Amino acid sequence: MNNVKRIVTTVITAAVALVTMSAFAACGTSTDYSQDFADLKSQINELGDKIDDLEGKISSSDSGSSGTSEATASDVTINYSGLSGELNVYMPSPKGIQTQFKEEFEALTGVTVNIVSGTTGEILTMLEAEGDNHWADVVILASWSDGLSLKADNLLMSYQSPYAEYMHDGCVDDSYMLYGTSASAVGVIYNTKYYTASQLESLDWDDYADSQFKGEIAIPDPQKSGACKDFVAGFVTAIDTDYSIIDSWAANGLVNGGGNSNALAAVESGSTPILLAGVDYNAYSAIADGESIAIYYPESGTVINPRPAMIMKTAPNAENAKRFIDYLMSDSAQQIVADAYLIPGRADVECNSARLGFDEINQYTVNWNAMMSVSDTAAAYVVEKTAGNN
Amino acid sequence: MKNSLKLQKATAVIIFIAVAIILVFFIICPLVTIFSRSIITDGKLDWTNIKQLISESEYLETIRNSLLLGLTVTLLSTVISFPLAFIFSRTRFAKAKWMDIVFMIPFMTPPYIAAMGWQRFLSKRGFLWQFALILTGDMNSALCQYLLTATSEWLYSFWGLAVIMTFNVFPFMFTLLKNAMANIPSSLDEAAAVSGGNFFYRLRKVYIPLLVSNYAIAAILVFVKTISEYGTPSVLGNGITFMGTSGFYVFTTKIQYFATVNLNFGMAATLSAVLTIICFVLWLIQMTITKKTSYKLQSGKGVRVTLKKMPVWASVLAIIYIVFILLLAIGVPYFSVITTSLMDKLSDGIVNWDNYSFGWGNLTLSNYANMFTANDGGGGNAILISLMLALISATLASVLGMVICTLTRRRNRCYKTLEAVGMIPEMLPAIVLVIGMMIFWNTSIYNVIPIYRTLAIMVVAYVALFLPYSIQYISSAYTQFNDSLPLAGRTTGGSKSYVFLRITLPLIGKGVITGWMMIFIISFRELVAASLLQPPNTYVISTYIYSLFNQGYNGATQQAMCLAVICLAITVTALILINVTTGRKKKSHR
Repeated sequence: MNNVKRIVTTVITAAVALVTMSAFAACGTSTDYSQDFADLKSQINELGDKIDDLEGKISSSDSGSSGTSEATASDVTINYSGLSGELNVYMPSPKGIQTQFKEEFEALTGVTVNIVSGTTGEILTMLEAEGDNHWADVVILASWSDGLSLKADNLLMSYQSPYAEYMHDGCVDDSYMLYGTSASAVGVIYNTKYYTASQLESLDWDDYADSQFKGEIAIPDPQKSGACKDFVAGFVTAIDTDYSIIDSWAANGLVNGGGNSNALAAVESGSTPILLAGVDYNAYSAIADGESIAIYYPESGTVINPRPAMIMKTAPNAENAKRFIDYLMSDSAQQIVADAYLIPGRADVECNSARLGFDEINQYTVNWNAMMSVSDTAAAYVVEKTAGNN
Repeated sequence: MKNSLKLQKATAVIIFIAVAIILVFFIICPLVTIFSRSIITDGKLDWTNIKQLISESEYLETIRNSLLLGLTVTLLSTVISFPLAFIFSRTRFAKAKWMDIVFMIPFMTPPYIAAMGWQRFLSKRGFLWQFALILTGDMNSALCQYLLTATSEWLYSFWGLAVIMTFNVFPFMFTLLKNAMANIPSSLDEAAAVSGGNFFYRLRKVYIPLLVSNYAIAAILVFVKTISEYGTPSVLGNGITFMGTSGFYVFTTKIQYFATVNLNFGMAATLSAVLTIICFVLWLIQMTITKKTSYKLQSGKGVRVTLKKMPVWASVLAIIYIVFILLLAIGVPYFSVITTSLMDKLSDGIVNWDNYSFGWGNLTLSNYANMFTANDGGGGNAILISLMLALISATLASVLGMVICTLTRRRNRCYKTLEAVGMIPEMLPAIVLVIGMMIFWNTSIYNVIPIYRTLAIMVVAYVALFLPYSIQYISSAYTQFNDSLPLAGRTTGGSKSYVFLRITLPLIGKGVITGWMMIFIISFRELVAASLLQPPNTYVISTYIYSLFNQGYNGATQQAMCLAVICLAITVTALILINVTTGRKKKSHR
């Protein structure tokens, strides 16, 4: 009996020790060499990609010289053949368009698309938790500044899509890592049962510090809404550099409205009938459905935030990922974007007629690099200032 | 005889090792992974997180808030549950078994849904205000003006939060107390009465001592549930100003913040460690109390309970009390949820804006149809997957729990540790274990057991997270179970398996089934694990609801509420089915 006990104890101790060790190893304490190796490998891959891109440029300039000089985006043809396997996409967009993208791309290529959806924050967590076991191919976020942070962290792959030159200014970064295949803007959304257009639509951002709006105003949580995060970052770099307007809103009872949909629902139900920096495409679709709300863009300007689609440097299915990026800018995908009341990233694709387009919305001067560096702090500042307001 | 004894010991040891391995992989490894993150940064020991935690008022406030909230909710639950448990165990109302299911409804409701229901009811221009508008027909009436701010002030206060959370968790305490009271044989009470004890004397000397042990279990359960609940504080907490601090943050919301918004796994892990230690200490206290005050009430003689005869006024009072509690626990949140699920336009609410009458015209069933057709039938798929996961996890966790509790009854320290380890998930907010699992199952072990990003990892998570329910209910059944019963079975010649099947199992059966049901319900509505571990392209009900709220199109709010209603309908049906079938079995035994 004693023997049995002794054996059991030994086995258990050994097992626990083994497992504990593997758990510690899982924390990434001893992976230095493999990390170096992976870096090297990805650099080689990158070089290969650059060569591919150059070859592509040469061949496209060849064909360009023989044809007409005024090529349009609709003339671009993407070769979807020869692809197989899977494609893993992290994506925060409205639900409906996720399914449409997935189905169309699968039909075009035969590749199986796995979509993981979540808010921008959730997606960043999942990337972090992935560790060295890389899975994500394409990551789409609702915030351009968060995309730039990924780029600054050296996590993205450069790929020059043939559509790149046909995008709106600012919808592609200069190293071809971020593609703003769709964009949205933020404005003031209000409930027309309690406020009229003539009451509000002449007001600028700072007018909402007026005491008649006390407890009536909200802002989406910039740590949950990528669009609002970009707005706040732009606001404090271009207009409200000393944060005094944000402070005056907060003193006027500005409520943290949560994610975009929650904040919009609160406008509709009247608990906070005025939403500052509400994302516009949601509002347009709600208006189309007959909800009693309206949206306008204050005179001093707003931010149009492109929603970046990016290829991870460690993408296991890089070829599929590149074609998916191309696909996102194709005629049919851009039409899906327009139908969802988003602004298509391609300059030649029309917006839905119910909304204002890229050039019709007054933007204040945006400096994305400056915004990227303050966006986290500014977002946290708004959250902290609005705490306790309801 | 000696050989067979040895064989049995060996079998027990093998089972023990198997269970131990499961627990190590499901619980211990993920925890070691996450806790090592709290003190190890880039391979080096790093104490900054812990220093920050004990030096910065922000964190101390978080700890204070959590403890105060847990304490308040436990006290409020006690106040609500004692009279209810008495009414439903010792009076004529004890016969109304269907009420058991009604009282499970608050527990079956995802807390964030209930919180949103309260929010829609009490917030500015919420349903209560809209009722006032219909009543007075004037937005500027005194009543409307008063309600515009008064109710939302209460909603976003410490007490509002505590009361709403109480109505969500009190069923735990109610169920445990009710079962305990029902098991007190009337003979004890009568003996005391015959010897001249008055009501209060009997309360003090008979009921209270017999209930202490079960109350301790229930109180700890409620306390721990409260401080590890995420839904309600996340919906309401941000709008609360408490003791001069804007925003009411508790462990869970802070951990979630560090785990999803301001990425700092180290701090999240450190906070989790503190929470774990607090819960562990409480659990130890409860163990001592239970050990000291356990009485074996089921000795095989059968328990006779005579129901108290009540005067009419007492019955009326009891009914008023029951209705009042149900109105707050179920009425308010479900009025909001169901009404919202039927709403055509959110901005119209329940008002007909032409003449300020009730807005029947804004109610429609089409949201339900849309919920099933939207997003390629995503809603229906989510229901099927949730059902499957809940069935598998509940069954696996129950079997595991039964094995653990049965082994624990062998008086051996080794076996006792199994129970302790199995209870760990109860003491942590789900997010801690889940993030640990994410990191652990996705790294070194992925090459050996590649279940990350499959439904299997969700089963693993659910079994680990909800094993404590099974252990708790089964060990609670074992507490009141006298060792003399199986011994009697053995001495009269029953084999070990015969005794287990014919004596032990029927007596603990109720605990097993209740535990199974609890796990089924809770995994049916679980959100935290699902949102972080669900495989791509796959949704369960809770994540689907959450995604509808979070990144929805117009009409998504209503569809989310539709799904919440359907989710409740399914759970209630399942409960009724189980009650009916187990009820029949009992009859056939007689």
